[in-house]
Amino acid sequence: MCECILVADDDRAIVKALGILLEGEGYEVLKAYDGLQALDLLSTHQVRLVLIDVMMPKLDGLSAVMRIREKQNIPIIVLSAKSEDTDKILGLSMGADDYVSKPFNPQELAARVKSQLRRYTLLGDIHAGNRAGEIKNGRLLYRTEERMLYADGEAVRLTATETRIIDLLMRNLGRVFPAEEIYRRVWEEDAYASENTVMVHIRRIREKLELNPKEPEYLKVVWGIGYKMEKQEKCN
Amino acid sequence: MDTKWKNRKNAISFLIFFIGVSLVLGNAINILQDLSGETIPQYVKQVLSDDYQQSRPFRSYVANRLENFLAMATNSFGYSNYFDYGYYYDYGTAYCDTTDVFEDIWEGIEQQAVAKTQEPDYYYDFDYDFDYDFNYDEEDINDGKSSSLTKEQLNEKLLKIAQSYHDHIKGDKNLLYSVLYDGKVLYTNAESLGDDGSLSTSEDYNFLLCYADGKVRIMKDGQELDIYGDGYYREDSEWYVPGYRNFTVDEEMKKATVYMAVAREPLQYMEGTHRSGNYRQIDNSLYWMSYQQQRNRIRLSQNGRDFLIGLALLLLSCFTRKSRRAAKEKIAHFTGKLWLEGKIIIWLLLICLVFARYITNEYSYDLWQEFLWVYRHDGLESAGIYGRLMLARLPALCWIILFWGIYLTINELKYNKRVWRNNLTAKLYKAFLARELRQPISRRMAHRNGIALGLAGFYSLLLLSGTWLCPNLRTGFSRNALLLLLGLTTVGFLLAEYLICARNLETAGDIEALSDRIGDIRNGDYTKSELPHAEASGNRFAGHDLDHIMSQLEDIRHGMARAVDEQMRSQRMKVELIANVSHDIKTPLTSIISYVQFLKEEEGLPDHVKDYVTILDEKSQRLKNMVQDVFAVSKAASGELPMHMETLDFGKLLRQTMADMEEQIADSKLTFRTEIPDAPVMILADGQRMYRVFQNLFQNAIQYSLDSSRVYVTLKTEKSTAIASVKNTSHTELEKDKDFTERFTRGDRSRTDGGSGLGLSIAQSFTEACGGEFHLDIDADLFTVTVAFQIH
Repeated sequence: MCECILVADDDRAIVKALGILLEGEGYEVLKAYDGLQALDLLSTHQVRLVLIDVMMPKLDGLSAVMRIREKQNIPIIVLSAKSEDTDKILGLSMGADDYVSKPFNPQELAARVKSQLRRYTLLGDIHAGNRAGEIKNGRLLYRTEERMLYADGEAVRLTATETRIIDLLMRNLGRVFPAEEIYRRVWEEDAYASENTVMVHIRRIREKLELNPKEPEYLKVVWGIGYKMEKQEKCN
Repeated sequence: MDTKWKNRKNAISFLIFFIGVSLVLGNAINILQDLSGETIPQYVKQVLSDDYQQSRPFRSYVANRLENFLAMATNSFGYSNYFDYGYYYDYGTAYCDTTDVFEDIWEGIEQQAVAKTQEPDYYYDFDYDFDYDFNYDEEDINDGKSSSLTKEQLNEKLLKIAQSYHDHIKGDKNLLYSVLYDGKVLYTNAESLGDDGSLSTSEDYNFLLCYADGKVRIMKDGQELDIYGDGYYREDSEWYVPGYRNFTVDEEMKKATVYMAVAREPLQYMEGTHRSGNYRQIDNSLYWMSYQQQRNRIRLSQNGRDFLIGLALLLLSCFTRKSRRAAKEKIAHFTGKLWLEGKIIIWLLLICLVFARYITNEYSYDLWQEFLWVYRHDGLESAGIYGRLMLARLPALCWIILFWGIYLTINELKYNKRVWRNNLTAKLYKAFLARELRQPISRRMAHRNGIALGLAGFYSLLLLSGTWLCPNLRTGFSRNALLLLLGLTTVGFLLAEYLICARNLETAGDIEALSDRIGDIRNGDYTKSELPHAEASGNRFAGHDLDHIMSQLEDIRHGMARAVDEQMRSQRMKVELIANVSHDIKTPLTSIISYVQFLKEEEGLPDHVKDYVTILDEKSQRLKNMVQDVFAVSKAASGELPMHMETLDFGKLLRQTMADMEEQIADSKLTFRTEIPDAPVMILADGQRMYRVFQNLFQNAIQYSLDSSRVYVTLKTEKSTAIASVKNTSHTELEKDKDFTERFTRGDRSRTDGGSGLGLSIAQSFTEACGGEFHLDIDADLFTVTVAFQIH
């Protein structure tokens, strides 16, 4: 099956760059330079994923996303120079699956594309119902019996301690744990200078499961309070 | 125990001082008041000597009697001393008995004066006027011109006076006398006193005086006294008797001879018998004189003794100065607690005490009246003399009380600062003010107006009733007219006052509206164009006092509204501009970063090209960071930064941030020393933003610290404030006046390091956006940043 990706941006250099990037990853790339062109290409080609810029002539990206969503359920990643949270939320609420702010790290973008595609193709049919002993959170899936964590359907290799931390956090999605409590429950020792130890492990886990460990989406620090596994609203 | 004893010691030492001063002062004043014109040694000598005959009153008594006897002998005037009010006054009852004689003479002469001068209102309070009249007559008579009395009648009258005087004093056997003229005895009360001039008499009479040939000889205790000295009479001569070279007698007087003998110890002689009912004392001046002297002596000895005791106590108190000072301080502490008003009242009472003696006086006239009278006639200078006299006559007790009053006042002024602070009026006024200030301004003004009106009314009423009751306005007409006038003025005055008050109240209402308006503007309500100004009835303030002010305020509001509008618009434009610019920068930056990435992945590039690519990569990453920082700062500065405030543990935030940056810290050659309490320090802030703040601060420290120096991170709580500080030693010299929080400011001017120059600026903006305080302190190379939050 052809992994055809539509890239729409009014900046030709970026489109070209994305083309090189994605073709390097083995995808076929369709290029559009405004919103209408993007819609045209979508109607004539079978596209697996859409990368679309917000600020475009003729038809802006967000309107285009809405129009696409009317017909298709393919993953859409919005690219934007606007990096504010509000812009991000707006984009996601319009039907986008991910939001990448410019200037982006090409590798990160590639990872996101891969992640979206895998979830769409591999997990698309699985997510119909939550099986017992499975905790699903965005890209993540945790099987409690096996004590295994899957990101985009791929098993994440965790150490024993990391697994215990993930077990605690995945079982309590959204709940904030102070470092002392994590320490007590994972190491089963009295917490002393626990902050650094916990933080080190958290950082290591992040590197394994986050697409951009510097801007984590799942394993978050609640500053001044503790750590939590962010509960993702969009569970597709 | 120790302090108790100390306190007691202080009290005792002050008590000694108190008694000593009181005794010395009181007795010194008693002694001084007893002096009556003599010097202290004279007085002491006189009182200590048992002999009353050595006193001044005795000498003047003898001189007066001699003068009177000489007048009797020659049947002439010379009684002025006889009527000397003050002289007899001092010796009590004797005065009463002499009035008969006195009045006889007085009446006769007054009638003459009345008949002659035709001045019915010629009236004086004081007896010396009598002398004046008397002398006046004497002149007249001697002239013999317009006298209504013939020479014979006058002689007869004088004879009668002499006889009555003789009758009056002859019973007093303390003074024996013989008055001779031309060798013939005219008056005598002593058979033993020979008319031959011999001075031999019984032992009871030790003082003998003989006047003959215009000269006086005095024998006392068998020895003759030197009367004339060098022969001239001077002010300080002891004996006021004729015979001096400048004080001689005429031929007629020379014919007179007077013998006098005075008892050693005078007795009291009575006239009449108990049964007859005419029982009374005779003159007895000498008896009273010696009695008085004895009493004076006793008094002086008592006074002197007490004075010496007081002096001894004072001397004793000199040794306990230290404890006395402590006592004084304690007293000052105590008096400092009293209200000023109380002290003033006490002082007024003290002053009243001075005058009380003169205001309620048993005598027909008193010094106080005299003082006022003299003041009215002769002005302040003479009154000053009487004032001094009044003070001189003030009883010793008054002096003591006055002294202690002054002493305590000075003591208080010395030890207590701002004595006037502790007063009841101010306290009441303050309380009143505090209560009043809670009310709206129109209510306050109404209160004040009410008070003013009330006072005015009260004053008018007082005036009216005063006029009504005043007994001095005797004539009905003038009083009624005055009353009418006053009544009308009062009504007019109150009416005017009321109108003014009403107007003031109106203004007060306006002030309230004005202050509301100002409050609105202060709260940022610039837009409200619906002013009370533009009410349906037209301009509400038109014609009012505040019309002008209101319109000015309106102008200010308008100006401010415009300024704020403008500022807001420019701020928004700035943020928009930055947002647009950063967006426009980001798009090409995206390409740059992407292609640099491809270049990096390109294989087979020459090494130097690889180096170029690395540099490009670094710089493009930095540009990316800078763009993001600029955007964040401009947002924070414009106050448009969305905040997510929550309660968090400040200490944990610091630990987490440091744990998060552990790698950077470990890579640096710095040591981080922390001092963060384990107990939670809860504050209200946006955790994400505060993480950025400390991330920037730590990064700043890592970037600019001297190699292998230490960075101190501390968290302290002071009262209700949590203060976190980051201290590091700069590796370059810090410019003292540089504002490091200014955007794009960096430690090195060349800007070759990796920072965007926005770190501290972002830290400050974010801290302030979270409601904290951000301070930067530079002390030599020590760079200290403190972030303070209210503990939640």
